[in-house]
Amino acid sequence: MAVWDLTVAVEELGPEAPPLSISVTSDLHIGGVILKIVEKTQMKKDWSDHALWWEQKQQWLLRPAWTLDKCGIHADARLTFTPQHKPLRLGLPNGMTVRLRACFSGPTFRTVMGICKLLSMRHPEELSLLRPVEEKKKKKDKEAQEEVYDLTGVPLTSGADEMYRHAALCLSGSVPNLYNGMPAHFADSPQTEAVYKMLSISQPPPAPEVIAKMYRPASVVDKAHIHSRWLDSSRSLMQQGIQENDRLWLRFKYYTFHELEPKYDAVRLTQLYEQARWAILLEDIDCTEEEMMLFGALQYHINKVSQSEPQAMMSCPAMDDLDSALQSLEVKMEGESSSMDMLLTSPSISASRPKRLTLKGYKQYWFVFKDASISYFKSKEEGFGEPIQKMDLKGCEVAGDVNVAGQKFCIKLLIPSPEGMNEVYLRCENEQQYSRWMAACRLAAKGKSLADSSFSSEVKNIQAFLSMQHSNPGAASAQNDENINTHSLVSPRYHKKYKPKQVDCLPWQNSLGIRLTPRILEAYQNVAQLSLTDAILRFLQIWQALPDFGVSFFVVRFKGSRKDEVLGIAPNRLIRIDLGVGDVVKTWRYNNMRQWNVNWDIRQVAIEFDGNVNIAFGCVTADCKIVHEYIGGYIFMSTRSREQSDTLNEELFHKLTGGHEAL
Amino acid sequence: MDQLSDDELDHAAEEDSDKEDQDLDKMFGAWLGELDKLTKSLDDGKPEKLRKAPLRQETNLANFSYRFSMYNINEALNQGDPVDLDALMADLCSIEQELSSIGKPNSGTSRLPPPGEAKLRQRPPAGHSVSGHGRPLASNFSLDDITAQLEQASLSMDEAAQQSSAGAVSDHEVRSLGRSPRSSINSASAGSMDSLDMEKPPRPPEVDGLQQPAPQLPSQDTIAVCLQEEQAAKLKAEKIRVALEKIKEAQVKKLVIRVHMSDESSKTMMVDERQTVRQVLDSLLDKSHCGYSPDWSLVETITELQMERIFEDHENLVENLLNWTRDSHNKLMFTERIEKYALFKNPQNYLLGRKETSEMADRNKEALLEECFCGSSVSVPEMEGVLWLKEDGKKSWKKRYFLLRASGIYYVPKGKAKASRDLVCFLQLDHVNVYHGQDYRSKYKAPTDYCLALKHPQIQKKSQYIKYLCCDDVRTLHQWVNGIRIAKYGKQLYMNYQEAMKRTEAAYDWSSLSSSSIKSGSSSSSLPESHSNHSTQSDSGVSDSTCSSHARSQSVVSSIFSEAWKRGTQMEESSKVRVSP
Repeated sequence: MAVWDLTVAVEELGPEAPPLSISVTSDLHIGGVILKIVEKTQMKKDWSDHALWWEQKQQWLLRPAWTLDKCGIHADARLTFTPQHKPLRLGLPNGMTVRLRACFSGPTFRTVMGICKLLSMRHPEELSLLRPVEEKKKKKDKEAQEEVYDLTGVPLTSGADEMYRHAALCLSGSVPNLYNGMPAHFADSPQTEAVYKMLSISQPPPAPEVIAKMYRPASVVDKAHIHSRWLDSSRSLMQQGIQENDRLWLRFKYYTFHELEPKYDAVRLTQLYEQARWAILLEDIDCTEEEMMLFGALQYHINKVSQSEPQAMMSCPAMDDLDSALQSLEVKMEGESSSMDMLLTSPSISASRPKRLTLKGYKQYWFVFKDASISYFKSKEEGFGEPIQKMDLKGCEVAGDVNVAGQKFCIKLLIPSPEGMNEVYLRCENEQQYSRWMAACRLAAKGKSLADSSFSSEVKNIQAFLSMQHSNPGAASAQNDENINTHSLVSPRYHKKYKPKQVDCLPWQNSLGIRLTPRILEAYQNVAQLSLTDAILRFLQIWQALPDFGVSFFVVRFKGSRKDEVLGIAPNRLIRIDLGVGDVVKTWRYNNMRQWNVNWDIRQVAIEFDGNVNIAFGCVTADCKIVHEYIGGYIFMSTRSREQSDTLNEELFHKLTGGHEAL
Repeated sequence: MDQLSDDELDHAAEEDSDKEDQDLDKMFGAWLGELDKLTKSLDDGKPEKLRKAPLRQETNLANFSYRFSMYNINEALNQGDPVDLDALMADLCSIEQELSSIGKPNSGTSRLPPPGEAKLRQRPPAGHSVSGHGRPLASNFSLDDITAQLEQASLSMDEAAQQSSAGAVSDHEVRSLGRSPRSSINSASAGSMDSLDMEKPPRPPEVDGLQQPAPQLPSQDTIAVCLQEEQAAKLKAEKIRVALEKIKEAQVKKLVIRVHMSDESSKTMMVDERQTVRQVLDSLLDKSHCGYSPDWSLVETITELQMERIFEDHENLVENLLNWTRDSHNKLMFTERIEKYALFKNPQNYLLGRKETSEMADRNKEALLEECFCGSSVSVPEMEGVLWLKEDGKKSWKKRYFLLRASGIYYVPKGKAKASRDLVCFLQLDHVNVYHGQDYRSKYKAPTDYCLALKHPQIQKKSQYIKYLCCDDVRTLHQWVNGIRIAKYGKQLYMNYQEAMKRTEAAYDWSSLSSSSIKSGSSSSSLPESHSNHSTQSDSGVSDSTCSSHARSQSVVSSIFSEAWKRGTQMEESSKVRVSP
């Protein structure tokens, strides 16, 4: 058989070095070629991760037993002998960048599995990689080097295949071994420990300016464009033109989060929370003002708790013995009646009836808070007699109306009664008084007494929150942990709506409650007692309950239609949306799906549903492979919940998402 | 003892039960009158006291007023004023006796209650909170207080007794806390200690069952002229101790309720505060032999507001009934309501937005329910559309475009598109319940009769805080009501349904057995089949794709998809079978 020369570039020889030329025959298998190359370099090193990359055809030669002939390689082929794992700069959902070695030779799906294994995130099938949005960088911005967390030093589990197996095992069920509360490979050095901390603890809220500067999709079409950036899961990074040290984003792509388990999912939960938070801050997903305030309150709380975290979780020993319970109740009541009288410094207040209160409607009374009710008297001297009114606060709604600058500290109470709700406004003199009374009202509303252990923490919470109003919004960038600008917690739309300046200038607006902090504070009441994990889970829950949650948009052209329309792909359904108006035209559920074809020639997706409903569309903003993969991916996710085995069925995923290339 | 009364009730004719009502009403009325008198006299005697009648009404919380009364007692204790507490005690005891005869029909005279009068009554747990007929009382909120107070009191009594070095007290005397009103004459002179008596009376009726007179407190009209204070003190300390023990036994609040059956008859039963609606339903079903169906419901009817609501199975019944006012005409009905779980029987009509009623295969229903309720968060059905809103305090109804979200009900403000950020929050659902309005066309001039109302459970009278919505058709109404239920209760609702179905299956044991065995058989056989399909598909797939036949690869993709989907649903079925037996 004829001997011919094969040209192979070897990076290790240096960029200047000419490519190696080795003599081969067509029936030499790839393994033999590699052996010859290694011999020829005369370098002693571990070449086990290296493989041959065929430049012109953009493909790896990964089967050592195949001959050159079978691969179709001739003398004109230019091959590169290069490592399969290369460093990659990975943008995480939390906005941080981590540098790690990723597999450039396997399908992207596998690469993500490897990355997730390294970052100790379960269920890598829910994530994928996408090309980042190019940021319009000004020259000076470039100077500010972003902090990169390096994980390239972390040794990869010997054989690549073995690593995948590990990843697959790790995927569901099996508990990773922890050292110092983190997976073993992070416990090696302080640097890697820092990386783990970054991964598993949520980031402090960004400065409002940062949010304002970031790219926000303004329309459904904008939102659709982001989806054109997903990498093809069935092809390797190298095949998709990704180079060593390139930047990619790692994101949750499929919005069905399987078995979120705080015990094993520290990193996963945190990153998921971060992605959700950014989606809300950047208005990627729409929500109402009430929802935004609740998200804001939860962010505030999560940040606060994660700062002060490693405190042991509170365990409240249940008092099973009735007698001891009664006894302690008695003690409480005694202690409380005295301590509580101190609370009622000379309060002013009370436009008690629901009639529109004018600012002048307040009248001073002497207030006494006892148990779960408020009584008020004409004066302190009469405080032991019969009150003018006594209000039981159990089950009532409590809201604050505060403006620190305007020295306005109001508590609004909505007390239910058979006749309706009694609206009562209490006006306190100062912050101190306000926070104590507010805390007392809130506890009482929940049926707790002042002697409850949470009282002092409640007071502190309120004070901490009020202190945010002191901060000058202009100096927002100079924030510390204690003092967060509430504008960091909501999307820029609300920055404008609740512009601090405007309100400061026009004091009369304060009475309308047009302040951001008190609104968040109001929502905060309901979440202030949550643990860190619960708060994160709550955040995710509310996020998932938003009507637009999990819908990925694509601009498509339906068969027989003359205009572009939007196709929303959700975890359980497809949505046809009018591009102009934004109205939902039609919804199809995967449940009713019968057939699903892709015509790769004309790049058209055709779907048949029960009842002879047929639709077909071509994709405008993204390749139809991406749409195809999205739909197939969700089908895959839905089979997953019933999967009994712990391993990830990679094969099925590729079957469902790969199209003809994968088969 | 429940059993006893129920048996009797079963035998009793309808008239009987009506008579019972009358008796009870009368009794309670009388009792209430006494109590009011007493409080008044207390108030009169002590003008500086906290208590004030209008105040009590305003707060609507019996425990609240009860606390006041406790305060009074404390003061009386401290100041040593003679108060006619024994009389109160006696009254309470006599009421107790009457109560204990409740099981016997025809024991009373006739006084016709107004039609539709609430048939709810509660055993008097403590003095002041006993507020007459039809009104469940919240007095037990303060049971702990009572206990605490009592403990204190008994301590002080002990001290007093020791200090005054009393002689031995005969058993006879100990037992002599009379239930006759006469006894007050005697003990009036006991001075400061009398006030303590007031705390005891509540206990006996509280502790003992309705049909069970308190044996520990036999009537003893003959109180000896034992005026020695030490003796009296000791005696009272003893009594307090007895009472204390009982109160501890009786920490659980119980309510005697009248449940209206669908056939116009009614049943009296006792519920305790721990019972859920489900538990009460179960016991009603056991007793009434009416055949098991998950549709049996407890329906709260607020007569005055012409609205009703099916209590959810997980709700606490007593807690809900305590919201009724003392003169309430509300009714509790035990009846079959298909709308209770219609949502789960035909989820496609509620969860898929607003189309015409449709059929769906059972398997798909299951899948749909699982999708909606078993994810990490419950997906609230996308309800939106034009509804009529009754304007506050006016008779007019205005159209608005409403949307339901997990966080509440919103509407689109005038001149805006329905983008989320522009929505105005109409109501958040944490504090309100959803009611069906009845005949609002005539009551409120509603455009249609398909009305729903949202209100705080404590509101019992007309108020601007009750929101009224009116739908164009009954289907829309049901969709909204169920959507709100889902948003409010979430997964709990589904769990309630599953629980109810479990009961049904248990009731028809044989049928459940056979059906589940069929299911498991089919699923086990179909599973391997689908696997084998997969493998053949993939083989052909490889070869097809290499020769790049587009037509073929298309079909491969589609069949793989449908296989996968089928497989998913089959697995689901099999897992379901695993759970259900």
